[in-house]
Amino acid sequence: MIPFARDGDLVTARFTPGERELLAGLAGQLVALLQERAAESPADVLYAQLGIGGSSAPPLDPAMARLLPDAYRGDAEAASEHRRLTELGLVDRKVANAQTVIRTVDTKVTVLDPGDVQAWLRHLTDLRLVLAARLQIEDDGDQGNGDEGMLDLYDWLGYLQGTLVEAIE
Amino acid sequence: MPEVLEDVELHSETVSDQPWVTIVWNDPVNLMNYVSYVFRSYFGHSAEEAERLMLLVHNEGRAVVASGGREDMERHVEAMHDFGLWATLAKEGS
Repeated sequence: MIPFARDGDLVTARFTPGERELLAGLAGQLVALLQERAAESPADVLYAQLGIGGSSAPPLDPAMARLLPDAYRGDAEAASEHRRLTELGLVDRKVANAQTVIRTVDTKVTVLDPGDVQAWLRHLTDLRLVLAARLQIEDDGDQGNGDEGMLDLYDWLGYLQGTLVEAIE
Repeated sequence: MPEVLEDVELHSETVSDQPWVTIVWNDPVNLMNYVSYVFRSYFGHSAEEAERLMLLVHNEGRAVVASGGREDMERHVEAMHDFGLWATLAKEGS
């Protein structure tokens, strides 16, 4: 790969075919996880269109719980009310970010406009949060428990995100 | 004398108008330059202030990054969750 670099208002990178397949595959998996979560919500078409009417309880999967955290600590009622009103919107935006990545990674040269950059930044973070939960990285300094491949992936996504932040700074 | 009274009134107004805070919590995942970037780009903090808040989160485990009305803080928390930062809102001083 050639990491992210700025080109005027745009940011570009080159990924190998294998990397492109990997990034698109991960984005697709995240979309599936998020949609699975959204499907747990009580079905109400009107509410769903407004992005409200989501679940009132946090996800059981620690990875999803980290992606969709409580907005209040120590106030379960306020947390669940807030979640009911905002979670579906948050899920939708995370899905849209993943879809932007799938769309923009599917070329020899990945070219990102400022909106795409924001989607990539958020999506790379979401992927790392999910992997960290799977690897049981919970505190600063945790090295992670899991297979080497997943740890390497976690580090690589961090490297990728680092170069993207540097490119826009 | 009237000026003093005015001052007091203004102060109490400010306090009652801003009883909520947005708190960002430390996590082992987010990169330091990303957290700084979020504080700069979203809250419009200067590079120095963003860096200070990022280090506060990193070293103290949490930092108050904004204060104001409850609805505004809910909006900020939602935006932080969009960025993948771990944030909550609370009544000031709680």
